[in-house]
Amino acid sequence: MRTFWRITKLLGDYKRLTVAGFALAFAQMGLSLLVPRVTQLAIDRALLGGDSHMLVWYGLGLIGVGAVRFAVGVGRRLTTGKASLGIEYDLRQRLWSHLLRQPFAYFDRWPTGQLMSRLMSDITNVRMFLGYGMVFFAVNVVMILAIAVILLALDWRLALLSLAFLPALLLVTWRFSRRLRPILRDVQQRIADVTAAAEENVVGSRIVRIFAREDDEMAKFSDRSTRVFEASVAAARTRAVYVPLIAFLPNLAVAFLLWYGGRQVVQGSLTLGELVAFYTYLMMLVYPAQVIGWLTGLAQRAMASGERIYELLDAPIEMEERPDAAPLPQAAGAVTFDRVSFAYGDRRVLEDVSLEVPAGRTVALVGHTGCGKTTLANLVPRFYDVSGGRVLVDGHDVRDLKLADLRRHIGVVTQDPFLFSASIAENIRAGRPEASAGEVRAAARIAQADEFIAALPDGYDTVVGERGLTLSGGQRQRLAIARALVMDPRILILDDATSSVDVETESRIRAALADVTEGRTTFIVAHRPSTISLADEVVVLDHGRIVARGTHDELLAAGGHYAHMFGDAEARRCDLDAVFAQESGAAAGGEEPAPARRPAGRPAAAGGPA
Amino acid sequence: MAAAGSTSRDGGSAVAELRGWDAFLHLARELRLARLARFAAPYWQRALLSVVAMVVVVLSGLAVPYLLKIAIDEGIQAGDLHTLDLVVIGFVVVAALNLGASYVQTYLTSWVGEHVVLDLRRALFAHIQKLSMDFFSRQKTGWIVSRLTNDIDALSELVTEGVTSLVTNGLTLAGAIVFLFVLDWRLALATLSIMPVVVAATLVFRARSARAYALVRDRLAAVSAHLQESISGVRVLKAFRREAADRAAFARVNAEYRDVNMRTVVQSGVYFPFVEFMSAVGTVIVLWYGGSLVSGGQLRIGVLVAFIAYLSSFFDPLQQLSQLYNTFQASMAAVQKIFTVLDTEPDMLDAPDAVPLPPVAGDLELRHVTFGYSEDEPVLRDVSFAVPAGRTIALVGATGAGKSTLVKLLARFYDPEEGAVLIDGHDLRTVTGRSLRKQLAVVPQEPFLFSGSLLDNIRFARPSARRDEVERVARVVGAHEFISALPDGYDTEVQEGGGGLSTGQRQLVSFARALLADPKVLILDEATSSVDAESERHIEAAMEALFRDRTAVIVAHRLSTVRHADEILVVDAGRIVERGSHDELLAHGGRYAELYREWQATGRTL
Repeated sequence: MRTFWRITKLLGDYKRLTVAGFALAFAQMGLSLLVPRVTQLAIDRALLGGDSHMLVWYGLGLIGVGAVRFAVGVGRRLTTGKASLGIEYDLRQRLWSHLLRQPFAYFDRWPTGQLMSRLMSDITNVRMFLGYGMVFFAVNVVMILAIAVILLALDWRLALLSLAFLPALLLVTWRFSRRLRPILRDVQQRIADVTAAAEENVVGSRIVRIFAREDDEMAKFSDRSTRVFEASVAAARTRAVYVPLIAFLPNLAVAFLLWYGGRQVVQGSLTLGELVAFYTYLMMLVYPAQVIGWLTGLAQRAMASGERIYELLDAPIEMEERPDAAPLPQAAGAVTFDRVSFAYGDRRVLEDVSLEVPAGRTVALVGHTGCGKTTLANLVPRFYDVSGGRVLVDGHDVRDLKLADLRRHIGVVTQDPFLFSASIAENIRAGRPEASAGEVRAAARIAQADEFIAALPDGYDTVVGERGLTLSGGQRQRLAIARALVMDPRILILDDATSSVDVETESRIRAALADVTEGRTTFIVAHRPSTISLADEVVVLDHGRIVARGTHDELLAAGGHYAHMFGDAEARRCDLDAVFAQESGAAAGGEEPAPARRPAGRPAAAGGPA
Repeated sequence: MAAAGSTSRDGGSAVAELRGWDAFLHLARELRLARLARFAAPYWQRALLSVVAMVVVVLSGLAVPYLLKIAIDEGIQAGDLHTLDLVVIGFVVVAALNLGASYVQTYLTSWVGEHVVLDLRRALFAHIQKLSMDFFSRQKTGWIVSRLTNDIDALSELVTEGVTSLVTNGLTLAGAIVFLFVLDWRLALATLSIMPVVVAATLVFRARSARAYALVRDRLAAVSAHLQESISGVRVLKAFRREAADRAAFARVNAEYRDVNMRTVVQSGVYFPFVEFMSAVGTVIVLWYGGSLVSGGQLRIGVLVAFIAYLSSFFDPLQQLSQLYNTFQASMAAVQKIFTVLDTEPDMLDAPDAVPLPPVAGDLELRHVTFGYSEDEPVLRDVSFAVPAGRTIALVGATGAGKSTLVKLLARFYDPEEGAVLIDGHDLRTVTGRSLRKQLAVVPQEPFLFSGSLLDNIRFARPSARRDEVERVARVVGAHEFISALPDGYDTEVQEGGGGLSTGQRQLVSFARALLADPKVLILDEATSSVDAESERHIEAAMEALFRDRTAVIVAHRLSTVRHADEILVVDAGRIVERGSHDELLAHGGRYAELYREWQATGRTL
């Protein structure tokens, strides 16, 4: 109920339009109610009463009413339409702005599909309700009451008897919507199941073929599709019963009207005109009665959607920048982890980690999957906040700094980097939009990307990303490196930046990285010794703690954890592709023509209604 | 009489989009509609019955004003209560007929419509199964899935409520005109005089609103796409401080949507009240002209009343038919896309005389094979080699040399342009694909797991396998330990794409799956993404177990893999340039030997 009022208050931003809309709607209703009355008078007085010259006036009156009603009708639609579209715009903008302020952890928790449905269809549901639902509901309720009053005034006995169908109609409508709703939900669920099956089958089509499971897949899909059919037919059956019934009841009332009212006209206690008026008004009741059921459904959907929207809007921003946050115009790039602990929910990821990294040093973070190395790196740009201890940049606690300033000095490259649907140049410029074309090219050159970009037909203007050209993993990685470089950051974080890339490309990137890490404080999270060897120092983590530090050779010699991981790796590690790459140098051409592949785990096609 | 399923006159885009579609004229032009109709052909009896029911519904609806006329003229005005009673009874009978026929019509139309949708969905899916690997590489998977889901759903509206609305509204409109002429042709003509204006307005509105709605759909999709993308890349957005820029960009997209939507509001905001106004004008015409006829004794008053009642049977259907043109457009666009897929020829069909492959020992052979993904760029040139059963062959070569392609041909994902691929002497093209797959398994580079339990994933190779068999293969590849360590063990649910497990673990599951298939020939495209050292060890051990007792062809990236192979094939620019065991090739002193020396040098620097 509280949600109802909150949603309704959204109209407050468009007070004038809303009030005008309501006023016009009631005016329209009033004018519509006039028509049968005038017709009745025309029939009784002019045609039957012999006052035929009055007919002209009645006719003109009707046209006049019609014309005013036209103007009012247009006005009503425009005002309520404008208000509701405005509300939709505002709500979507507000929700998205709010979400944008939330930190990484928030987006880790919320699946994309959930956020999308709230941003798209939930907001639309609220708009429908506010734009049409409320006005219709109010007008129709008043209409029913007004007509009841008019009829009672005309002939109260006839009115009572013919209006008897109304409660029955409302009851039937209500029962109908109650019956239908769970069935419709069922249909939706089964459609979702079919969609899921379709998606999986297509994405995993190769595996299906390899194991010759096409028949089984067909059977599974057919089964789910049949379930959709069954549920849809069940819904149709329900409609087939109730909708004709809802139409039948008013017809019964009309039959009654004719029988009883007809007699009254013959007896002279009712005029024909009045009977016709009765008939017309009764017919005018049918639509509102039918529609009230639909409107309550609309209201319920809007409430449900409203709750979901406010769930997001009410959520506090989890990582605020402090009001007195200090600016950081320049940075040397010294990073210190001071007894840092981090827990993700109940999972303890980092325990009491202390590490001092002077400016310009390159540090490799290594360890088993889940040991905390990526998390540690993510604390520097404050993508996550520590649970205990502090992270310092140039001696300042990162929580005391302005976020934008902090992040301007930190370039991040991740595994499987994300590119926006924009030109390559725009993507590279993301961190520093004012970078010149020359600077963009320079960064691309260092990242070993300039060559392949220049070879594209549109070069740096080529649109990439979801809706653009699909680049290979290696190409995207190099673009991501360029993107980080163009900011000329003092701190660089390379998180598993070469692991999804084949080794030939990696050796190229490695050459680039050697240049790039010069003079910058760099954190490298990697598995490959070849990448690790770029570092001045290696830090080994295990279950959230630092267990060893030193250079690659020192650690190998020490024979501990590190040696265990990488010691006998040479034979295993030597990837032939690296050998080929070195052999053929830069002459190795493009990569093998392979079909464009979607990396596993990509979000499915857009979730909102199109 | 209130027609079953009548809708808003005033509904705006909310209710409007839910029903039927437009003029018969367009129907004829749309050949796709004929194809669609063919899907309904198996259910012609139900469809016919449904149409009959629709006619009954329309006629019973149109009968009401006529009955009213009789009641007034013959009953009330004449003072004949007996006739009045008869008419009332007739009225109830007609109403009951309407009720019954509506039930039949609603149910049957939905049944037929939904069955057409079901059949189409199945047909589309079945066809997609048959399409070659090439199809999947050309189209993005999202596009394909959209056909199976969104487009079919769009169709569902069309074939159920759309058909009903078209037929009933069309018949009602036509029927009303007929009744009007039957009642009094002069008054009918006078009343219909306003029709040209209304029809013209309807046509204009329809054309404009179709364009506007298409634009609205487009802009809404743009809003959705922007949000989808920004959410996917929100970490990049934040890392590069693009929040403000994104907010501004979104405001623009958001506003564009609002503005084009407003256009549709204006269009329908003018059209529907206008039609209502014309309805009032119609009433006035009836009153004036009809009134004068009544005064002159040339017309009975009951006819007048009936006329006024019929006017609504006019304007309502007209409005509904015009509103729904947009739904029609959207649905036909969907139909077009569906038929595009259905019309795509599968090019990896079994030959008409294909025979099942008999149990093979596993001798592979490529005989003078030439192949390229596109016409003029051959990736493999005149490649010939034979692999005796039971041997492990490693393919090495630079990226782009053709190793993966060779393997795809062996697995029959593509057919060679020239030459042949043979297994135990059988040309792959002469045997059925299904029988081939039962004896030849491929492990691709990226391990793909379906949603479901680990048990089901491994059993994907052989659904009838028992749990102990699954555990056995898991043990052999070294997956048993980590699976048992999971809270639900083999019953642990895997998320789509294999999320929740590390890359290395997914690889091992993928190996277990291949092993369970127990193929005579195994083709493995070695994964290049690096995993932590411990997983690497497991994977190496797993591969050794996998290659025992069968013919194995591996696209190798690791020297360790290569060294264990029985034979190595060096591929360069689409040709095999060297072959032999590791020692033989070293002794030979050619390409491979050189590479080995390179490796030794590189190995030191690592």
